[in-house]
Amino acid sequence: MIEINNLTKEFRKPVREQGVKGMFKTLFSKKYESKFAVNNVNFTINDGEIVGYIGSNGAGKSTTIKMMCGILSPTSGSVKIEGVEPYNNRMKVAGKIGVVFGQKTQLWWDIPLIESFKVLKQIYRVSDDDYKERMDFLSKTLGLDEFLTQPVRTLSLGQRMRADLAASWLHNPKILFLDEPTIGLDVWVKEKIRKAIKVMNEKYNTTVILTTHDMQDIENLCSRIIMIEKGEIIYDGAIEDIKHHFGNIRTIVLTLKEKPDEKKLNTFNNKASYEWKDEKLYIKFDADELEVKNVVNYAFGELNAQDMQISEINIEDVVKSIMAGNEVIE
Amino acid sequence: MSELKYYIKLYFTNMSRSMIARMEFRNDFIIGIFGFFIQNVAALLSLYFIIRNIPNLNGWNMYQMGFLYGFTMMPIAVDHLLTDELWRLAYFRVKRGDLDNYFLRPVPVLFQVLSETFQPEAFGELIVGAVMLIMCGIKCHINWTVSKVIVILVATFFGAFIVTAIKILTASPAFIIKRSGFIMQVFYNFRDYTRYPIGIYPKAIRILLIALVPFGLIISLPVENVMFENYNGLVLCIAIIAAAVVSMTIACFVWTACAKRYESTGS
Repeated sequence: MIEINNLTKEFRKPVREQGVKGMFKTLFSKKYESKFAVNNVNFTINDGEIVGYIGSNGAGKSTTIKMMCGILSPTSGSVKIEGVEPYNNRMKVAGKIGVVFGQKTQLWWDIPLIESFKVLKQIYRVSDDDYKERMDFLSKTLGLDEFLTQPVRTLSLGQRMRADLAASWLHNPKILFLDEPTIGLDVWVKEKIRKAIKVMNEKYNTTVILTTHDMQDIENLCSRIIMIEKGEIIYDGAIEDIKHHFGNIRTIVLTLKEKPDEKKLNTFNNKASYEWKDEKLYIKFDADELEVKNVVNYAFGELNAQDMQISEINIEDVVKSIMAGNEVIE
Repeated sequence: MSELKYYIKLYFTNMSRSMIARMEFRNDFIIGIFGFFIQNVAALLSLYFIIRNIPNLNGWNMYQMGFLYGFTMMPIAVDHLLTDELWRLAYFRVKRGDLDNYFLRPVPVLFQVLSETFQPEAFGELIVGAVMLIMCGIKCHINWTVSKVIVILVATFFGAFIVTAIKILTASPAFIIKRSGFIMQVFYNFRDYTRYPIGIYPKAIRILLIALVPFGLIISLPVENVMFENYNGLVLCIAIIAAAVVSMTIACFVWTACAKRYESTGS
């Protein structure tokens, strides 16, 4: 279990002025500006959850993760992993967590991948039997065999990321922190990584905390999301809730021969709204109030549509609108 | 006991891992050794040309000077062989924020740093140093005793501890100011003083070299003991071992305090 209480991290930097003259001024000035990368954050994550931790660049995601795994000490507040504070008791917590930073690697650059695994096996005191079983599982789900004997520096990004995920899980950690594990990967590799994460969670009950900008990751893996913006939590709850809150909104996009007269369009008693954009007609309505069938019939019948697309609301739109502050939840 | 075994085994695993990495770049390795030889041959030649014209420096003849020069390499070579990663850490690893991995593993950070690289080039230093000790030692007609040999061995190995402690102490500020390689360089360069008999320096520098940055304690005094038997071997050994224990304890303490301030980098 992870408990986070009033967690705050403040970075203090000397106020810098530009140019050479400014540089000298900075050298002798005592002015500091402080930035709260994480500000009074609270949440609890239970065993076996997969939580999506999302936010825009610089929102404080990585800083929070670094405090959770003991790299950074908080300015105030606390993180408790299984009741232990990782920054005060680093070694105790380290054996229980696994971490992947998508931007960095934890593997040794110049030695063959398999040698890296052997070193990690020893560091984490993994028994021979466990090592064999887990390596079998990891090679199968992540397809490591084809590059196991290559030095890490020769791996492609997709191969390296799979290797990194395997390395972080070799000691079967209770908690897995994944900081942008799918960044820059192609769809095939993303799929493999997602699948592996899912199995780790289902079969071994690994708790997963995942930061990502890929909404597909979130929709496929997470049951809960925590959203952070400017260091503060702006949403914490189930994905279903957030979708529900926005209603069962559908958008139908029609390709028409010519622009229809907007006044003549049937609004179904104000239950549907219309927008003409990029030579296409967008019809937006709530599927709980208005049957999709009726709208489709109307589109092909009266409007004589040539082509049509129906889309459900996706989490990306929701996140976008929350981030933009258009929509305040509760 | 099993804990100790774990660390010893892990240490050797890391050593072999580092060797495998080095072998990936064979040419780099060979150039490294070659470069070292050229550097030392040049230094030795310049020393030779100077000494040739001054046959006697503060009572030391050419061969005694050569013996001293050879011995300055010994403790430093042992340290160089095992703890070279501290240089990289102090110069750029903290600044780049690439120490995150060390903080994620259930092993002390300092242990991981010290076992990160094994620097086989240092064998070159050990060989050159040993050859000079033997060649000049024969010409000096030293009256070897068991006590003198023990002092030399203690000075080499515990001396290496002290050198490492100095490096740890000067690398630690990097966690706060991001880059402390230049500080390390300044203190490390104090060893250059010990290439000449310590007696030629003013008292203040002698005290500095023996008590504060103790290259004098681990190099000058043991060599004087070998040449002139003007110290008590046992006292010298105890002093060196005590200095090693004290400096290493302080170094570990300072390191731990500073490492808490590690800030990583944004990603």
